[in-house]
Amino acid sequence: MLRQLALLVLSLTLCWTTFACGSPSGMTANQTQVSTPVPPTAPVSNPSLNSGPTNSGEYSLQQAEYDDATGEYTLMLLGSTPPIYRTVDLQMARLTDEELQAGKQSYASINGDQATLHLTEDFKIGYVHNVTEAQVDPQTGQTETVIVRQESNSWSPFASSFAGAAIANSLFAPRYYVPPVYRSGGNLLGYGGYGNSYNGAVDNYRSRYNTPPAAVKNRQVLRTSGAVRSPSSSSSTPKRQTTNRSTGSGVGSSDLRQPFQQTRPSQTTKRRSPSFGSSGTRRRSSGGARRRR
Amino acid sequence: MAVGKQFNQFFGKTRFVVCRIFLHLSGAEVTPLLGILNQATRDAIAAEGDLQVLGEKLVDVCQALLQFNIYWKTAANEGDVLWDEAEAADYVDELFTDSAQRYLSQPDLAQSDLTQPGFSGKASDQAMFSLPATQNLVVMFTIAGEGEISELETNLADPEAMQDALKALINLHYQGRLRGIQIHFSPAQFGDELTDDQLLQNFPELVPI
Repeated sequence: MLRQLALLVLSLTLCWTTFACGSPSGMTANQTQVSTPVPPTAPVSNPSLNSGPTNSGEYSLQQAEYDDATGEYTLMLLGSTPPIYRTVDLQMARLTDEELQAGKQSYASINGDQATLHLTEDFKIGYVHNVTEAQVDPQTGQTETVIVRQESNSWSPFASSFAGAAIANSLFAPRYYVPPVYRSGGNLLGYGGYGNSYNGAVDNYRSRYNTPPAAVKNRQVLRTSGAVRSPSSSSSTPKRQTTNRSTGSGVGSSDLRQPFQQTRPSQTTKRRSPSFGSSGTRRRSSGGARRRR
Repeated sequence: MAVGKQFNQFFGKTRFVVCRIFLHLSGAEVTPLLGILNQATRDAIAAEGDLQVLGEKLVDVCQALLQFNIYWKTAANEGDVLWDEAEAADYVDELFTDSAQRYLSQPDLAQSDLTQPGFSGKASDQAMFSLPATQNLVVMFTIAGEGEISELETNLADPEAMQDALKALINLHYQGRLRGIQIHFSPAQFGDELTDDQLLQNFPELVPI
């Protein structure tokens, strides 16, 4: 009797641990629950960098589009629900010769949150180019970058426009590719950079053109605060004892990829509690396991 | 949690460290730092926030701070390790907003208008020639870096740990592992003052080192 009970408990534990390890989103939800007392509606969907079908598999590719303002790919897949798949994390490969001989068309293979495009040489990815311009906001006097208009073009990453492409294509392994420098009119051929990671591709592009690709450049959002932007008030400013804050300036920039708006959880006011640092008093007691003081 | 970490490492997910460092310097001798800091922000704006340029400026500021190490008075740091890039981006934004609200985000125009030289009398002329040197200067860095940065993921309220951390920041720039950089400082310019009261009120987490 006892043996059977033990057997049951053990198998249940095995099932539970398997599921717990299997889903990474559930795990991060657990993590946040450990560090902060999250409201009961806790298991929010993780703000991920892509959206679309969660079932893995191969789907034939109807259409693909790339937006160079965000670096986002929009894929239209046949036979998947929903048919639109949007991602910024996309690897590409040319169809192998065997696949071509078998008469295979361009397809996308989706594995969890990782998508790979297998393209024929003449497949054209729609390329949306955003023409930006620095304009001065008349109300605040700050310069900001605005999209003036969009141009659409197409991009064929594997059309062998130069010798190096043929060598790289012969490897057939999926890699990350960055489109070449935009020029209006005419199909964009080849690629601007490639690598085994997205950042590798960006670095490759940067070393070739000495500037980051448009999608990365647009992601580098400059934030400033304080007295930096304003014309410097004369240095004869007196002591300001009346205010409870002193003056200051700040500048910041990052090229971390933001989540898509629709996948962002609605609760954004949550203040993170730091997991390391010097402030022992402000830390929540539940996060005390990692205290280092 | 440890299992989750190993899983993430196994599947090749990028580890992001987002952290903020406060460093407070005290003494009239630290005023030259304001010039370096202002130059850094001006160059960063001129480059429209290019991370490469901002990284070089971060190196300049860190090197200057390392030279002024005898004036370090208090410090604090906080941060988190994240596996999700989007979450890291949100955290970086959040830290910017929090850092920015610790000083006057707008210059006090009403007061400075009154004391424009030429408009007012002798009092401001005198004030122009004798500028008060600030006794306190607070520099706040926020960085988002890739990988494991053990020098930063610790308690930095210690002179040696802080030195190592500033050196680590310089190295991170040259290793190309910085994905987000913010530099804040208060007061803004020579002639402005950050008093002890303001320091206590707006930077409660500072710990003497």
